[in-house]
Amino acid sequence: MVQINFARREVNCKIVFYGPGLSGKTTNLELIHKKLPDQSRGTLTSIATEQDRTLFFDFMPIDIGSVAGMRTKLFLYTVPGQVYYNSTRKLVLQGADGICFVADSDPNRMQDNLDSFRNLEENLKEYGTDIRRIPLVLQYNKRDLPGAMSIAEMNQKMNPQGVPTVEAVAVKGEGVMQTLKALAKLVIDRLNEEYAPGKTGSQLVASPVAPRPTPAPVPAPVPIPAPKPPAPMPPQPVPTPKPIFNVPPPMPQPVPKPPPPMPVPSPRPQPPPPMPRPMPPRPAPKDDEGEGGGGGKWVAIILVILALAGGAALYFLAGPGKELLNKK
Amino acid sequence: MGKQDEGLRSSRLVFYKEDIERIEKVLGQFLKSANAKCGLLVDKDGHLVTKQGESSSYDMDTISALVAGSFAATKQMAKLLGEDEFSVMFHQGKKDNIQLSLVGDRTILAIIFDERTTLGMVRLYAGQVSSKLSTLFDEIATRKVEAEAISKEFGQAAKSKLDDVFGS
Repeated sequence: MVQINFARREVNCKIVFYGPGLSGKTTNLELIHKKLPDQSRGTLTSIATEQDRTLFFDFMPIDIGSVAGMRTKLFLYTVPGQVYYNSTRKLVLQGADGICFVADSDPNRMQDNLDSFRNLEENLKEYGTDIRRIPLVLQYNKRDLPGAMSIAEMNQKMNPQGVPTVEAVAVKGEGVMQTLKALAKLVIDRLNEEYAPGKTGSQLVASPVAPRPTPAPVPAPVPIPAPKPPAPMPPQPVPTPKPIFNVPPPMPQPVPKPPPPMPVPSPRPQPPPPMPRPMPPRPAPKDDEGEGGGGGKWVAIILVILALAGGAALYFLAGPGKELLNKK
Repeated sequence: MGKQDEGLRSSRLVFYKEDIERIEKVLGQFLKSANAKCGLLVDKDGHLVTKQGESSSYDMDTISALVAGSFAATKQMAKLLGEDEFSVMFHQGKKDNIQLSLVGDRTILAIIFDERTTLGMVRLYAGQVSSKLSTLFDEIATRKVEAEAISKEFGQAAKSKLDDVFGS
């Protein structure tokens, strides 16, 4: 598609030469390259096989010069014509603004022309483009062949839509520039028609890299802030909309102000009164139920002393004490 | 305005000065941090959007077309392998290297760098700059702008230029 770059003051159009294998697409580019003045032509680059058959595409930029304050360029591409390169052919077709279909005038190759034309239609369709809406020029090439098909017949078979046609002998450079000029004018017309100030309306979406189908005003997924209450898994009865989850929370902390009834099943039983631990079995005393461990200890000591004293008294009374009493 | 026209308009690539300035600022900062030689932003159709750094010796139009072409080819390869697309590509040369990374939905960032930096540094900063640009593009894409149209004379002027260049 036409790229209009107001910052660089550039208008860039993509033109694709399409057609069956060996119909003369690369030859067209070579001749254009040869004929153009140095200041207009860029480098002709070919991605070809060792046998000079186009493998991916040929490419050549043409600088038309400054037009109404915009530097205007045409980028010419060819596709590989051979049937089995359809995937690469389709790639090159992406974003094309105009198509030159190079047909072979040899009657034996008419079927190849038709197949290739149908293939063009299908590939364009995959990009959502209707072949009847894209600027298109048919070049009937190899007009110098002895048994070349008549123009009327070629038109009848290939051009029911009545698009502009140009007769050419590309190897000799005949008709090559005319074809390109005719197509470039169609592309310019289309651009003007769609982009002229009066017709565009005053608003348009600047769409450098936006996803093509819909602009989707949503600013796309950014990290994680998520201002909406995401409601993790625990029900979280807290009615206030404030999401507490801005920071990675370790656990449902005991919320500062206790919400109405039963907050969260919190694993920790909430810090109860100061001294819990009633359970921890103290190793020592058995009979220390009484509170105040210190007092119980003293009672025990006294009891022991009394018991010892009692025992001693009994012993005394049973032994030496008895003798003393008897003596008396 | 018909529906189809609307579709065409939204699919057209239009870059405004203000947007490009913001993009260039981000690119410039990136080149400084990564110590890379040159950064190009190319759309998937093969047109150069903007560039920063030492680029005078390169044929930018051809590089842009080839960058887009090789990215498109790699995407097909990715599909065959069950991936949606490969978001980063790297080519190593004797002196200069190039890393291509996808930015947003429709542009490719090509970074040319030499021995003044390392692939690791470029990767690190390229990841950051890609997401910055991506966010920037989202902003630009959803922003309504007053259309800066090409002039009314463009069509006629272009046609006479074509006659000059291709012969009448």
